[in-house]
Amino acid sequence: MAVPIIMPRQGQSVESCIISQWHKKKGDKVEIGDVLFTYETDKATFEEESKHSGILLDIFFEEDDDVPVLTNVCVIGEEGEDPSVFSPHAAPPAPEETKAEETQTPQEAPAEDVQVSEAAPEQTAVQEIEDKKIRISPRARNLAKDAGVDFTKATPTGPGGRIIVRDIETLIDEAPAAVTQTSKVVSAQPAVSALEDYEEVKPTNIRKVIAKAMHKSLAETAQLTLNSSFDAGNIMDFRKELKTKGEKYGVDGITLNDIVLYAVSRTLLNHKDLNAHFLGDSMHVYNTVNLGVAVDTPRGLMVPTIFNADRKSLYEISKESKELAAACQAGTINPDLLAGGTFTVTNLGTLRVESFTPVLNPPETGILGVNNIAEKVRSSKDGIELYPAMGLSLTFDHRAVDGAPAARFLKELAENLENFTLLLAR
Amino acid sequence: MPKEQFINPDEVRKSSWIKFDDIPVNQYKKTIKEEKDNYTKDDFMRIFRDMAIIREFETMLNLIKTTGEYMGTSYNHPGPAHLSIGQEASAVGQAYLLDEEDFIFGSHRSHGEILAKGLSALYKLEDKELLKIMEDFFDGEILRIIEGKQKDAGNVKELAIDFLLYGTLAEIFARETGFNRGLGGSMHAFFTPFGIYPNNAIVGGSADIAMGSALYKKINNKDGIVIANIGDASMGCGPVWEAMSMAAMDQFKTLWDESHRGGLPIIFNFFNNQYGMGGQTSGETMGYDILARVGAGINPEQMHAERVDGFNPLAVIDAIKRKKEVLENKEGPVLLDTLTYRFSGHSPSDASSYRTKEEVDAWMEQDPLEVYKNDLIEAGVAKQEEFDAIWEDTRALISKNMKLSIDDEISPHMDVKNKPSIISDLMFSNQKVEKMDDREPDVLMPKDENPRVKQIKRKVRTALQDGKPVPKNRMYQFRDAVFEAIMDKFYVDPTLVAYGEENRDWGGAFAVYRGLTEALPYHRLFNSPISEGAIVGSAVGYGLSGGRVIAELMYCDFLGRAGDEVFNQLSKWQAMSAGILKMPVVLRVSVGSKYGAQHSQDWTSLVAHIPGLKVVFPATPYDAKGLMNSALMGTDPVIFFESQRIYDIGEMFNPEGVPEGYYEVPIGEPDIKREGEDLTILTVGATLYRALEAADRLEADYGIKAEVIDARSIVPFNYDKVLESVKKTGRILLSSDACQRGSHLNDVAQNISELAFDYLDAPPVVLGAKNWITPAHELEHFFFPQPDWFIDIIHERILPLKGHVVKNSFSDRQQIENNKLGV
Repeated sequence: MAVPIIMPRQGQSVESCIISQWHKKKGDKVEIGDVLFTYETDKATFEEESKHSGILLDIFFEEDDDVPVLTNVCVIGEEGEDPSVFSPHAAPPAPEETKAEETQTPQEAPAEDVQVSEAAPEQTAVQEIEDKKIRISPRARNLAKDAGVDFTKATPTGPGGRIIVRDIETLIDEAPAAVTQTSKVVSAQPAVSALEDYEEVKPTNIRKVIAKAMHKSLAETAQLTLNSSFDAGNIMDFRKELKTKGEKYGVDGITLNDIVLYAVSRTLLNHKDLNAHFLGDSMHVYNTVNLGVAVDTPRGLMVPTIFNADRKSLYEISKESKELAAACQAGTINPDLLAGGTFTVTNLGTLRVESFTPVLNPPETGILGVNNIAEKVRSSKDGIELYPAMGLSLTFDHRAVDGAPAARFLKELAENLENFTLLLAR
Repeated sequence: MPKEQFINPDEVRKSSWIKFDDIPVNQYKKTIKEEKDNYTKDDFMRIFRDMAIIREFETMLNLIKTTGEYMGTSYNHPGPAHLSIGQEASAVGQAYLLDEEDFIFGSHRSHGEILAKGLSALYKLEDKELLKIMEDFFDGEILRIIEGKQKDAGNVKELAIDFLLYGTLAEIFARETGFNRGLGGSMHAFFTPFGIYPNNAIVGGSADIAMGSALYKKINNKDGIVIANIGDASMGCGPVWEAMSMAAMDQFKTLWDESHRGGLPIIFNFFNNQYGMGGQTSGETMGYDILARVGAGINPEQMHAERVDGFNPLAVIDAIKRKKEVLENKEGPVLLDTLTYRFSGHSPSDASSYRTKEEVDAWMEQDPLEVYKNDLIEAGVAKQEEFDAIWEDTRALISKNMKLSIDDEISPHMDVKNKPSIISDLMFSNQKVEKMDDREPDVLMPKDENPRVKQIKRKVRTALQDGKPVPKNRMYQFRDAVFEAIMDKFYVDPTLVAYGEENRDWGGAFAVYRGLTEALPYHRLFNSPISEGAIVGSAVGYGLSGGRVIAELMYCDFLGRAGDEVFNQLSKWQAMSAGILKMPVVLRVSVGSKYGAQHSQDWTSLVAHIPGLKVVFPATPYDAKGLMNSALMGTDPVIFFESQRIYDIGEMFNPEGVPEGYYEVPIGEPDIKREGEDLTILTVGATLYRALEAADRLEADYGIKAEVIDARSIVPFNYDKVLESVKKTGRILLSSDACQRGSHLNDVAQNISELAFDYLDAPPVVLGAKNWITPAHELEHFFFPQPDWFIDIIHERILPLKGHVVKNSFSDRQQIENNKLGV
């Protein structure tokens, strides 16, 4: 009995996923556990393992296709079985998106559906609108496919009413919404650069999302950065103790960054304007701290969220941040965990950065950059002394918060970290 | 047009009579007894043996064709066999005095001539030389097959006879072990080491080729004579007359320098078997009565013409002996009417419906093999038993070689299945040979002192200088570029010759050769008669004999006059010889305008269609010099198109200008003349400049950037650049001045459709000239593609342009209608 494989729904906010690579091709033998295809949301990449064994009878989407979740992607079954009944293309094209609900259970396609689809007029590659055959150049057709636009919506301006490339380009320009994020719109700009020794690298989905988000952040907010530092002697001693004696308690893996996260979670609620979303007309000020933690991955920057951080112990924060980071690295992070943050912490200290200007993750109003520890000089009663200073760079949205309140947060945070063991005891 | 020869009206207008000398007809009357002093018994018997070998060879083929077997061995030979049974005495008599330095060219009916010439040459060659020839030929491949199969194991002559018989027979049977790898076959077999040059399946085809070979011998001071063996019916072919008149040009005796003065060393020998297939020449299809008469019409020497009795080998030997002397005295050319008769049909399908049995019987009564044998017996030279023994040996010889040559293991056909490129690899020789001989080239002055060279030195080698157009008189032009490449080569390759109409003194009709007259003696640059067939045909002969030649036809439209020479000869001989022959021939033709329907055609498509020709059409001075250099460095025939519209154009594309030194533009590589993103325009020849004008307007008026590519070469052609461009732009317009229907560009467009289909935003569109006659200059802009047309056809068929109003219709309807009407 042939079974269809659907595009899984990866998180409630995900409406469609892009097939990034097929690992099997039509006609291949498939075992349970074999990877059928990898797919990606705008934030993460996943592998779809087969839960069935048999022959991959048909593939309904190609690489780079954007597939609505819960849609049949392929069919596994025995040789000779007809996979076409499961084809999402066989059904008349749904004119509105609202039909999505009805196609949620395609794997249960009942037998009568088979007859219906056979009796229905064939919808083949030749698409017709008002009895007029669509004529389209091969190049325009390919561009439409790559850009993910529906060429039937293009206004033909070619000879004899043929849709030509410029018509698809117009379609893309006029209705950017029609273009999915996979669009590879060929730039019409001439390559004028004399630099010819380069490789063209297509940005990944995630890169594109980051690019868009970063640019949007800088373009639409009024962000600025405050730099400060604190005496890290206390947390360094504490970290040393955890490392040497913590194994027995399972806390030997707690890092300085975890300690900063904990301190932030315990400081933020005294400065709620920085634990907030600024939405222009209104501002959501949160009573719990959902801490975004920036993670560097091979795919690019990802920011998973430690929910309710203000209610979690140092141990829990540490454990969760490691799990999230690992999932991000592996590309298996649940997309729902990549949203919902109220404040973000990003750490470049391990890379010897002394100070930087983190970019806000809107609509959040603040982001804290953690820098390296450098020795600083201060005067004491014994004269001049050296102490380990850890830098903190707070970027905040001046639309939401003024400088002094932001500085006050930074000051309190520094004090909390200088007296971390006391904070922990509270 | 030599100025030193004054045409005196008082002389030429004088009243007088043309007087003719008597033309000898069968004047040889000696008996065997009288010839005994001149021939030994061996000589007499060898003549008989050679005739017997030919007779048995042809009889064997006749039996295979008609009964499917010879002496109990079955074989089916589907190919041709034009036999010469009855003509043996004429072949053996002709070959008797010839050695390997003497060349014969033949016809479709030349098995006998091959064997006779081969037997004669191998008799004269030293054993050591013979062994070397056999060892060297195909690395001894044929020798390995036949060696050790002789009665007398140490007898090199016997070995060589088997070599000759086997190589010829294997060639006839299309075996890879044949003399030409089976690619020539019965009508084309030859073996140059014995002085046997290509036989030709086109009637009279050998006349002008042999004349070119004689030119090669004369110009390069090579020993030996050349004989064109053609049939009586070929006297009806224009190129044969052209060849004879060109061979008899006065200038050989009046204008050529002392060391090259005198007539061409060639015999136009008509093996006159009195039939052209089924047409009786004397009495039905011709009017000469006796063929030898024609000699009287060619030159005052009457071509030393005579009729010889080709049924008597001694009569033919006598004639060749006397005619060889004529040629050695530089009094050629010679015409021989060697009368003979073929007992066999034209071909095995010949039902002899055109002649009676009585006629054939009457000639068989005088069968040379019988008559000559009986004469020898009667004169006491030999006894019947000796002839019987010769026959017995001959049959064994033929039988042995026949069996060897049809054995698929020993003598396989070309393995095209497992070596699919085996024939394509032979279409071009693709060699680079700087000079075809090592001696100092004959020139009249140092190159630097040449007035044209000095003039060119003063010219600006770009079209623009400091952003301003260079005045025409100071600008290095297209014609200078062609000249420069040719001039340079004349000082490198001593074999290089150039000829055609108006090449000397006038400097070529379009002044390309101006300056060459001062530089070169007559024998390297001369005016030919208005004989396009003979111009190209002789170039073929000159080239395959080992020289390099530039022939010129003035107008491309005159190609038709040289149709056979271009389509069947120039293009074919490299491959038909299995690469043994090279064809370093450049044929310059120009595409005209202004002069109407017979002087304005771009016929690149005609030659592009013929396998075996390279075809180029440069449109810039840089490309012209570079392509001419490549053509003159190569060993392949190149049809070199030039456009008269742009002889005076300067170099606009290469900012450095045209280099003074040597460089090559590789044949087969198109060139991007302007880069663009929106549309590709591929042009051939002078159309380039109209395409650029259209491209300017497209950009100015519609913001469309066209990439303009100049094909430069038509055959071969590397599509890479064009495909890359089309993949970028998605659109291509192809244009040339050739008439649209059958234009080679349709072929290019089809290839692009197949190779870049998924990238196309519109079908490739070809813009050619109308399918009309070329009208007068004043109306030409209605005929040849104009910049307007480019924009109109782009608008209508590729990319509608906003606000554009067409002036010329290129609609579907128009296209269908035009085709319906055949216009």
